[in-house]
Amino acid sequence: MYILYSIPSTASCLCRSVPSHIPIFLCTYSSSLYTCVNSHNNLLTDPPWTSQRRHFSALIPKKEDGKKRVWEQSQLLDVLEARIQQLQSDIVLDVQHAKVQFVNASKSGRGASSGKSHKNVSGGRTELPKKLIQEKTTKTKKLNLKLGIEDKPVKSRKGKLILPGTSKTLKNQEPTAIQADTMAGAPVAAATVPIRKVEKLEWKLNQWAMSASPELVQDNSEARMYEGVQLSVHCYLEACVFCGDIDRAQRLLLTHHRMISRRNLLNIGLYNVMMRVWAKKGSLNQIGRMFILVEEAGLKPNLTSYCAALECMGRTPNCSPKVINRVLRQMKEDGLCVEELFRLCVFRQDERDMVLRAIHTVEPDFQPSINTVLHTCSSPLVKDFYTERADAKYPKLAFSLEELRERFSRQLSMEQASTITIHSVEAMKPVTPHMAKMRALLAEQRMVWHKALVGALRESNMILASITPKAVRLSLYPYLCLMDQKDYVDIMIQSLSNLPPSGESLHILAKELGNRVHNKFCIRMKSHNQMVDKLSHIYNEYAELLAKDSQDFDVLPRERWWKLEAEHSSGPSLLGDNTQWPHTVVVELGTYLVDLMVKHMKVNSDILNPANDRKFIPVLYHMYTFRSNKQVGFIKPHPILTQMQQDAMETTLTFDSYVMPMLCPPVPWTSAKFGAYLLTPTKMMRTVVGANQHEILLEKCQDADLHAVLDSLNQLGNAAWRINQPLLDIIISVFNDKGNEKLDIPPPNSEAPKILRYSQQDLATYSSAEKAHLKRELVKAKKKCSEMHSLRMDALYKLSIANHMRDEVFWFPHNMDFRGRTYPCPPYFNHLGSDVTRAILVFAEGKPLGPGGLKWLKIHLVNLTGLKKRSSLAGRLEYANTIMDDILDSADNPLNGKKWWQNADEPWQALACCMEIANAVRSPDPTHFISHFPVHQDGSCNGLQHYAALGRDVIGATSVNLIPCEVPQDVYSGVAQQVEEFRARDSEKGLKIAQVLEGFISRKVVKQTVMTVVYGVTRYGGRLQIEKRLKEVDDFPKEYVWDASHYLVQQVFSSLKEMFTGTREIQDWLTESARLIAKSGNTVEWVTPLGLPIIQPYHRTRTQMLKGTIQDLSLQITHDSKQKPDTVKQKNAFPPNFIHSLDSTHMMLTALYCYSAGLTFVSVHDCFWTHALTVDTMNKVCREQFVALHSQPILQELSNFLLQKYCSGLS
Amino acid sequence: MSLHFYNILGDVVSIIPPLAICPPCPLSPRVLLQRRTFSLDSLSSGPGRPQPQQARTDRASPSSALTHRNLSAVAVSVQDQSRPLGRYDFLDLGEVEENTQRAQLCRTIKRFIIDPALAKLVTHHLGPDLEDSKAVIFECNPGPGVLTRTLLNSGAQRVVTLEGEKSFLPDLQALECLLDGQLEVVHCDFFKLDPMGRGSMRPPAMYTDKLFTDLGISEANWTDEVPVKVVGIFPQRIERSQLWKLLYVLFDRLSIYRYGRVELNMFISEKEYLKLMAKPGDMLNYRAFGALWQMACHIELLHKEPWASFVTSSKYKLAIPKSRLPNDNLCLVRMTPRKDLFSASLTPSNAATLVMMVKQCLAKRKARLVDRLNMWSPDSGPKLLKEMGMQEDVLTGHVYPEEYKQLFELVDKSQEFTQSWLYEEVLENTQKEGWI
Repeated sequence: MYILYSIPSTASCLCRSVPSHIPIFLCTYSSSLYTCVNSHNNLLTDPPWTSQRRHFSALIPKKEDGKKRVWEQSQLLDVLEARIQQLQSDIVLDVQHAKVQFVNASKSGRGASSGKSHKNVSGGRTELPKKLIQEKTTKTKKLNLKLGIEDKPVKSRKGKLILPGTSKTLKNQEPTAIQADTMAGAPVAAATVPIRKVEKLEWKLNQWAMSASPELVQDNSEARMYEGVQLSVHCYLEACVFCGDIDRAQRLLLTHHRMISRRNLLNIGLYNVMMRVWAKKGSLNQIGRMFILVEEAGLKPNLTSYCAALECMGRTPNCSPKVINRVLRQMKEDGLCVEELFRLCVFRQDERDMVLRAIHTVEPDFQPSINTVLHTCSSPLVKDFYTERADAKYPKLAFSLEELRERFSRQLSMEQASTITIHSVEAMKPVTPHMAKMRALLAEQRMVWHKALVGALRESNMILASITPKAVRLSLYPYLCLMDQKDYVDIMIQSLSNLPPSGESLHILAKELGNRVHNKFCIRMKSHNQMVDKLSHIYNEYAELLAKDSQDFDVLPRERWWKLEAEHSSGPSLLGDNTQWPHTVVVELGTYLVDLMVKHMKVNSDILNPANDRKFIPVLYHMYTFRSNKQVGFIKPHPILTQMQQDAMETTLTFDSYVMPMLCPPVPWTSAKFGAYLLTPTKMMRTVVGANQHEILLEKCQDADLHAVLDSLNQLGNAAWRINQPLLDIIISVFNDKGNEKLDIPPPNSEAPKILRYSQQDLATYSSAEKAHLKRELVKAKKKCSEMHSLRMDALYKLSIANHMRDEVFWFPHNMDFRGRTYPCPPYFNHLGSDVTRAILVFAEGKPLGPGGLKWLKIHLVNLTGLKKRSSLAGRLEYANTIMDDILDSADNPLNGKKWWQNADEPWQALACCMEIANAVRSPDPTHFISHFPVHQDGSCNGLQHYAALGRDVIGATSVNLIPCEVPQDVYSGVAQQVEEFRARDSEKGLKIAQVLEGFISRKVVKQTVMTVVYGVTRYGGRLQIEKRLKEVDDFPKEYVWDASHYLVQQVFSSLKEMFTGTREIQDWLTESARLIAKSGNTVEWVTPLGLPIIQPYHRTRTQMLKGTIQDLSLQITHDSKQKPDTVKQKNAFPPNFIHSLDSTHMMLTALYCYSAGLTFVSVHDCFWTHALTVDTMNKVCREQFVALHSQPILQELSNFLLQKYCSGLS
Repeated sequence: MSLHFYNILGDVVSIIPPLAICPPCPLSPRVLLQRRTFSLDSLSSGPGRPQPQQARTDRASPSSALTHRNLSAVAVSVQDQSRPLGRYDFLDLGEVEENTQRAQLCRTIKRFIIDPALAKLVTHHLGPDLEDSKAVIFECNPGPGVLTRTLLNSGAQRVVTLEGEKSFLPDLQALECLLDGQLEVVHCDFFKLDPMGRGSMRPPAMYTDKLFTDLGISEANWTDEVPVKVVGIFPQRIERSQLWKLLYVLFDRLSIYRYGRVELNMFISEKEYLKLMAKPGDMLNYRAFGALWQMACHIELLHKEPWASFVTSSKYKLAIPKSRLPNDNLCLVRMTPRKDLFSASLTPSNAATLVMMVKQCLAKRKARLVDRLNMWSPDSGPKLLKEMGMQEDVLTGHVYPEEYKQLFELVDKSQEFTQSWLYEEVLENTQKEGWI
């Protein structure tokens, strides 16, 4: 039954090859389907939760918030349980409807009572603790004041007490704690009362903590770990340490430690930062002090703390074994073991060796065990993939080991430089004297600015350094000392050349600058930690797995890398442990740099026009623009700068290194934190800046559960690419000529409409209507200009990168979004891009066409034209054969011939395909023709396919080609037909708009809306889409566009409802569940069938103000997990996100099994690419995996998961 | 100077007790009204100016006409209901409770004037010479029509009700038929005139030129007398954006302002009023919004009325927006465009630049004006300030609206500024200027 991918006759022919699935799937369900529908109807007409809602509202008054939440939780429970019942009824053939309802009815009573009791527990939970903590801290503070005890003397006394020798420190740990207590408590009898109060509060707190479920507490502590203050202090300390300002770091930690209110915010990680510093210095005394501070703060030393202590002892010559033994004993008492230390700690530089040396003094034979046991992913979907490896033939790359190693070293040096400057494709134009003059001028100015900025930065740094910061305020100073001033200035100058002439909002500009600094810092950090050598070493061995001239391996890239890393365990860890800076720091730092630029970059006003007076004017301005009543700070270049840049037409472009595709195969993802580029930090899951809930979730995951996801990312990243040179040359020639809007090559600015300037005098002669018209024209021209500029620049970047890579073989490392959809990391030039970029890319590896390859190329070409949508594959092939003349003409004379290709839907890809076909048919034997060309297989409305499969929707499934048919089904035409029926009916009834629309309803009008309905498009958005389509129809009366689009969107929605009954039901169930989950104060989470945890990071907006010298910035934060969830977003986004997570799962499964079949495979979400030779195999895998995926009880598992996650407190 | 005067007005007006205490006796409102007109009139002519005695004698005729109508109110019960009502026939306002219920049935969330006393007060403020005034009165969203009838009862010559809600139309139209041309009912929402969107134009959305052409009101010179007085309540949720929109069309002389100096008599929330009237030096509240309104219009606070006096259509309570500023009342504010707003150097065609300039300056009130000016044209700042007679270090938040206008006139004359991006910027911020 599974003809997934639009080419339906493939489906029918391939279906025969996998017939066994059809009966299993269809027969089982179709026989039960009708009974199920009945039961669904029953449930639908009187949904269980409505009756219970009534029941509950009588029982529990709505007013109180806590009660309401519980009530909603139990409602959720019922919805979920109802779904389980439904699902069970789907599976069990003889469903007894009465029983289902009975079970539901009985639930209500229990739900209510349990809800009530739960409330009692949780009622105070939200309010109480915070207040208590506050009260406690203020009381303690007051108490301390009263007793005349300042924190400081106490500490120094203690410090002195224990300082001489760490041995004492460690031994005396417990006593000191007691001493401290007695010291605080002893002095005066009068103080006992307040103390008791504090104790009482503490007791209450404990009580509360005990009553809370353990999971909750854990969640809290984890959330706290990432809390703003800790993160910013951590980054501050790291930055201080990196630039060698240890005093500053120590001072900051101590000030925080001394203030009780602040101390409560610290965690062990912050103390560890300092311990590591002292360990490097070999200062045992300081380490001892840190341990005391940790104790004092009520924290427990963790592995890293002990690691630092041992490292320090390792560095100390002749450290007494007694001391080391004591540390080890202490570790054991804290429940930590030495093995874990080597397994879990992240080592920098020679830390590992030092720790080992310390341990060897007491245990000379100790060797950390290398854990080589590989756990495998538990998902049944990939069990075969991991266990049955005998038949697998993992693909190799067409390179020798030597070549790969050489490529690696080139990539490494590129990343170390952190930026790369390449020639733009405009360099091919001749240089006029004026251009030369302007280039010289610009270069000269850059030097001037560079010098001015370096000076300014140095000066401002000096000022910053001299200011003694207020107690806990974190200054930017350490972040400004991470590199040479000149490096910062390079970043600033680089951003200047990317600034669009219409300016950029301060926030965006600041973010870019801040991120660049962070990136550079991370790369420096890695080389500072001496991990580059180790990386090279491991990579060079890893390359054996991929190289064609080395032995075959039966392991996956991830497994190989993991093993190599375990074998070479000495030296620094490859895993970078530097934390992402908080967003506020990034923006603040960026704003600071922008401010310097605005203040210190000046130019003479007569530089271009000697007639002007000579004045020193700033190159950048800060001003405001007003966007719908909001004022946005903007940085604009002075027209002089824009003029210079445009006239100079500079031929070099500077990019961050990660913008370029990789020159060697990417580092395989071995965990959620490590993979992709060699040095540039990359997240496996792209998220909104600052959102960390995904990371927390991924960290909590069992390693093995992520393996399938990691492996599929690795496989996508390992596909090698190269440039289709003939096509690139044609495109560049069009680009450097005048562009071509029809072919999607943006014209240069010289082709832009002129912006007319009008003088006041002229205007006076116009009437007000004319003036309004003039103004509108002007605005339109202006808008067009800036649009053209950004399109042109985008194309320039893409083509220039492609041109730079023209003779290379390259790779796109992949990561994914939070739903698991995969993306290539390089942002501009990748295979996900437009028709133009896709056309330029071909596989680096070539494979012969084989017997069916030419056929696939031809079909692929017809698919690209967008013609023959309703023909079978044979029909399309036949069509291709009839137009061979046009195809060959297009290939031979692309720009001067009949230009058949230019009318295709995807013209450039069509042209590329024409050329490939021409080459193939002209070769002596097409079956042996080596083709690098990727052939695409596109899903037909993929979202609906998943819905139809989930809902076992026979009619729906047929219309999206999940069931074999003679001709391909087209869901869009189906919907259009249905809409037309509605329209005819309404027209007869005399509805004006229905009559107007006669003859205008087509597939094209409804297509986009149908496609996006599954992804949650609303009526509002749908109407806009249809409005756009209607406006394109020339003879449609314009005055009716609004009414017609309004009417049509309604009809499309009701048609879909009629055709996809199951879809609607599932969507409604998902929406309702999400609504209740969000209302109960939780965010919606689920796990994909491949084990990837997903969380929707939508929360209510919080505004954060950032003070800056230029202006204050207010940041809108929508992902703060401490805010309540945004119910509307949670609920609207759940169905589409869930479907996306399923389609990504299906893609990953296909990727994995294609890998073991030795195929080259890449994907653009639901469009899969492979060589013409292997299309058939890929289609087979794709279908098999779709069936396998949907044979899983997906909805049932989702329901179970939600029940367990959100309702376990209730039952 | 002018600001000072507003302040006094605000204080004095607040002395007047709310009308709720007014007894139902037919004579007493008149007494009360006269006292009120007196107190207000003495203020509106400004402090220091001698009190013109003439104003009071002028009012003799309208008030006697008013007596006439009030007398006919006594007679109305015995009159034959079938004949068309003349201009001196008293219109029954209907039961308060019934009107309240009708107002509450309205589908969109709005506030209505139902209290007869409040309606009377508003009518009075629109006066004093309703009978002789040539200005057409536009009443926005009258709902059950309490204010409409009160206006007619006070002898208004020509009232146009712009009702956006279909359900109120039949009743108003019935009234229209009864009368002899004093009332015209149009299905139109004043706040949806000249919409920016591209949706189909059908009532209640409308283009101004259609409305005015249908009513037979032609374009007038800016210096002519006020052609139209608009009375109504700003919808709460779009209050601010409506005020901005009106401001833009005012400076561009588009939309309703094509037809002359249309006078607004609108209820706005107290906080918005306070922001509107914020004075230089009040760094928190003095913004472009207020400065521009003060520059463009003569603004008078006519009356403050607690929120509770209005009937809200929604069954949920329409929450009163919170604010740092006091916000206990709706304020009836009269905004009359200044006759001398436009001059040789400030014309509707360059006024958009003035608006942009003020917005840029007041985006940050604690910035130095000279820096802003230098940004637009290097080195010109000190020169301009000298010409203006201002201190070098004056902050943008300390400059009076009038001074901004003068400054702009200087800037516009100067050659250096014509190339400045300030002019360019006007073109880019077009989203709010789509009105014709």
